[in-house]
Amino acid sequence: MINFEEELKKFKPSLEVEEAEDAIYDRDLTDMTDIMQEIIREARQR
Amino acid sequence: MDSYNKIIRVSNALYNDGLEKAKIRDLSGAVQSLKKSLRFYKANIQARNLLGLIYYEMGEVADALSEWVLSRSLKPEDNPAERYLEEIQSNRSQLNSVNQTIKKYNQALLYCHQDSRDLAIIQLKKVLSMNPGLVKGYQLLALLYMEEGKYELARKELRTAAEIDTGNMTTLRYLREVNLYLQGDSQHGKGGRKEKEEKVSSYRSGNETIIQPTNLKDNSAVMTILNLIIGVIIGVLITWFLVIPGIRQNAISDAKKAELAANDSLTTRNQEIKTLENKIEELNKQIEKQEGDSDNAQKIVDSYEQLLVAYDAFAQQNIQGAGDTIVNVDSKLLGTQAKAIYETLNNQVNEQYISAVYAQAEQDYRANRFPEAITGLEKVVQSEEDYNDGYAIYYLAQSYRQTGDMDNAKKYYQKMVELHPGTSRARKSQQYLDEMEQQP
Repeated sequence: MINFEEELKKFKPSLEVEEAEDAIYDRDLTDMTDIMQEIIREARQR
Repeated sequence: MDSYNKIIRVSNALYNDGLEKAKIRDLSGAVQSLKKSLRFYKANIQARNLLGLIYYEMGEVADALSEWVLSRSLKPEDNPAERYLEEIQSNRSQLNSVNQTIKKYNQALLYCHQDSRDLAIIQLKKVLSMNPGLVKGYQLLALLYMEEGKYELARKELRTAAEIDTGNMTTLRYLREVNLYLQGDSQHGKGGRKEKEEKVSSYRSGNETIIQPTNLKDNSAVMTILNLIIGVIIGVLITWFLVIPGIRQNAISDAKKAELAANDSLTTRNQEIKTLENKIEELNKQIEKQEGDSDNAQKIVDSYEQLLVAYDAFAQQNIQGAGDTIVNVDSKLLGTQAKAIYETLNNQVNEQYISAVYAQAEQDYRANRFPEAITGLEKVVQSEEDYNDGYAIYYLAQSYRQTGDMDNAKKYYQKMVELHPGTSRARKSQQYLDEMEQQP
């Protein structure tokens, strides 16, 4: 049985165009290649 | 193969998965795969561009723009994202319109949290009419309908959402719930349907099956008459309540206008009558003035004529005639020169005329012709009261007494006593007065 209040909590406000720029700057773009390079760098440092 | 290439291969594999899902319109699934792909390799331009396109298709324009902007910054040259961005920026009005729908969606979501579900439904309907790809909008609207118990409407919205995004878990979950409810409802309704089915009968007419309610009666003629009567009654009521008041109102309005016009006309006529009356009065005054002037002119002419006749009589030594005529002259109507002539002539005539009249009157008195004497003496006394040392009054009083006119006799005896006291005539006059007093 669907609970209206619980379901409502899952809906988040959509991103507005004016907010897009901030969203880009705030985004964490770290990917697997970055992590791998970090690991290699740390290994070399040891 | 080194680790770096392995990572890129995994990223590409996830991109392929996302592309396959996007092709069958499993947009949610595609988004998941593409996001994972970008977690492995953020510079997977194809994956990022596709993710932007899917966001755009789902009505999430800001998310789409974000992906394409990042894509362009990661690979500025030969990037399809450049074209997407140019296309959107060249149509600013459409971008603004879509952005407005996102704001309205957020507003609707706020209404939901504030428990204003009616307002939220209205707002979402507007949003979806302007941005028909916004899957979240359909889902939220369906959720609201479900909460309101409007499952049919909810199903309709969810089916539309499912056409845009076939694999969306939220849509499918809601749809399942709605279908379960509607199936349960239809099972409840089956008993009733059977009852309805029993109320119809069917028979075959040639190749056709005729289905007819068992309780159907052929009462079309009665119904026609009844409908006609109802129609007539409605017509009469409409006429009575709508048409007649209008006509009555118009009639009253026309009557008021006519009354106003009549009042105006009456006022104008009264004004005209008053003006004409004033004119008549003015003209009457003019006539009176003209008549007065005419009378005066006639009198002036008469006065001048009488003066001429008197002068002519005086020139012919007819003093009596001159005296009789000159009394008819009104000296006020004469001019300055004519007045001077009149004064001179009047003095000369009077002197001689009175003398002649008195001589004749005295003669008549002595001859006992008292009425003639009275006529002459009255003229003398009127001209000069104390003429001939009061003898004119005395003879006049005597003549009146002789004719039996005691009132006039008394009047002149009295004057005689007053004007010439101590004379024998005054004493005689007093004696006569005393005698007359003693007489009854």
